[in-house]
Amino acid sequence: LGPTAILLFLFFLAPVAVDLGVAFTDMGRTLAVSSFTFENFERMATRDTRLLGALGITAVFVITTLCIFNVTFALLLALVTTSVQRQVGAFFRAVWLLPRMSPSVVYALLWLWVVDPNERGLLNQVVVHVFGLPPLDLRNNHPLLLVILANGFIGASLGMIIFTSAIRSIPEHLFHAARADGAGSLAIVRHIVLPALRWPISYMTIHQTLSLLVTFEYILLITAGGPFYDTTVFALFAYRRAFENGQYAYGAALSLVLVIVGVVAALALWRLMDMKQLLQSPRIEVH
Amino acid sequence: MATVTFEKPLSPARPDWQALAARAGLRRSAGQAALLAFLLLVSVPIILPYFWMLMISLTARTGGVSTDVLWTACAVIVPAVLIYSIVHSLVPSPRLRLVTGLLLLAIACTLLVALIGDRLHFDNYRFLWRTNIVEEIRSKATAGGQFPSVWIAFRNSLVLAVSQTVIIITVASLAGYYISRFAFRGREAFLQGLLVLHAFPAMTLIIPIFLILYWVGLLDTIAGVMLVLATIELPFYVFVMKGFFDAVPWDIEMSAMTDGATRRQAFRLVVLPQVSVGLIAVAVFAFIRAWEEYIFVRTFLIENKNWVMSLYLFWVADDVMGVDYGIVAAVSVFYVLPSLLLYVFCQKYLTQMTIGGIKG
Repeated sequence: LGPTAILLFLFFLAPVAVDLGVAFTDMGRTLAVSSFTFENFERMATRDTRLLGALGITAVFVITTLCIFNVTFALLLALVTTSVQRQVGAFFRAVWLLPRMSPSVVYALLWLWVVDPNERGLLNQVVVHVFGLPPLDLRNNHPLLLVILANGFIGASLGMIIFTSAIRSIPEHLFHAARADGAGSLAIVRHIVLPALRWPISYMTIHQTLSLLVTFEYILLITAGGPFYDTTVFALFAYRRAFENGQYAYGAALSLVLVIVGVVAALALWRLMDMKQLLQSPRIEVH
Repeated sequence: MATVTFEKPLSPARPDWQALAARAGLRRSAGQAALLAFLLLVSVPIILPYFWMLMISLTARTGGVSTDVLWTACAVIVPAVLIYSIVHSLVPSPRLRLVTGLLLLAIACTLLVALIGDRLHFDNYRFLWRTNIVEEIRSKATAGGQFPSVWIAFRNSLVLAVSQTVIIITVASLAGYYISRFAFRGREAFLQGLLVLHAFPAMTLIIPIFLILYWVGLLDTIAGVMLVLATIELPFYVFVMKGFFDAVPWDIEMSAMTDGATRRQAFRLVVLPQVSVGLIAVAVFAFIRAWEEYIFVRTFLIENKNWVMSLYLFWVADDVMGVDYGIVAAVSVFYVLPSLLLYVFCQKYLTQMTIGGIKG
């Protein structure tokens, strides 16, 4: 237990404290601190006009990805893969996990190739030759759509896994009983599966909201927040301010906001979990 | 419910059970086919790019990239796979299946060789033995001295992933065991705190972690990144391990101890083998995570002698993209391969862990 505590302290609690401290300083590119101010927060609240745009983009990004992919599509995948043959379902789940398992740089590269704006890109091959439309340039014209798609294809897999195991844990006899009562497949989904999935779904929704809110890995790799600031979500905004512009203190202040959001959401998640089962007293050992 | 069952009047004529069964069976298989078609359709956007990457790495020459090879290959492989799956679902005997499978494979291979065989080449993989490949493609002035050998990056990645995995396994299994077995003061508080940390997104802390590493002097070292990566994933793994330890019956351990084992011995010789599945799962997962890490290494590692594979690939792509897709694709394939192999072979364990993870 000792090592765990030390590591957690060093890289979880200490950073929070440091963040709190640095947010009130004027740390710049030199990483030196000269005075303590509230300037960062003032700037956040009043002067930074880009921030509002970043917030709007974040909202669109999170809500769209969440609604379309991470919950809805994940649920759909879980339902479909559990209702075909077991091995077939497992195979398709493995396929959908592939993006999650493959390194993010590779995944991002693949997207860049697929949406390559000239006619050689995979997407444009389909667009041009099958639908006869002019080639698309997603990366410059619809960058937000692109990052939503890229994140969604990854995000769907986690929900899929969790929903699948939740569906599996529904007692088999419920399905048989429903069948015997003459329920069709859709009715079974509606009246048995969905109620059973209520908790996993709400858990996933909060969990994914949180993780979408703070991730920017794929966005950074695919569009780098650009063109200009068009796909810079809030977390990436903080990152860019700190590491691109060298305004570490301001970045720290921005991410402090995220930290607070994170703590609140984490607490909410914690409420959702089955605490009793988790905290069941250990098999007690006198020592 | 009971009312519903008896409302329908039984039809006076004797129903034709066989026809009904046949129709139901037909409808059932039609439904299954529709579901399969749906799955295939939505999975194409995932499989195709990966396949394309492989094709590019094997066929592209300096200059642009073309997709006609891809479509040709698809035109051969897709029917083969389809035919095989139909055979697989219709033919019950495994021997016959094997024979048809091999036959189809042979046909597909000959077709592939005949159609695109002359375009296959391994030139793009020459970065493996000619280490200053980027300098050869670009002029020395632009890329001179910038790129380390791919093997340095590979070694760094390996060191990072392996050491991080070792840390996680030891720490998480010890902590998991302790939490699962002992009552100590503050256990509940600790668990709750751990749970909050598990849900808490570490990405937000990247700036302060950067500063801490800078102050401690671990910035731009593999060790620093290793510690950070191990820690931010730790709460999750502790929970997974706790779940696995919880599943080990207490009696096993107790009987070992009544037989004269010390607690340490009991832990090492009796309990640990019981959770080996969990250990493997955690190890594989941690390895894959560390292998693919990008943001943290991007931020914390600067000098090129410290580059890991993700950075190597990123900069190669950055530098020669548009000039030589083949190299980029080849590096990607080389980079994906380890985690992909692990994933494929250890899938059994990984799924178990996810189930354990939810319970935790």
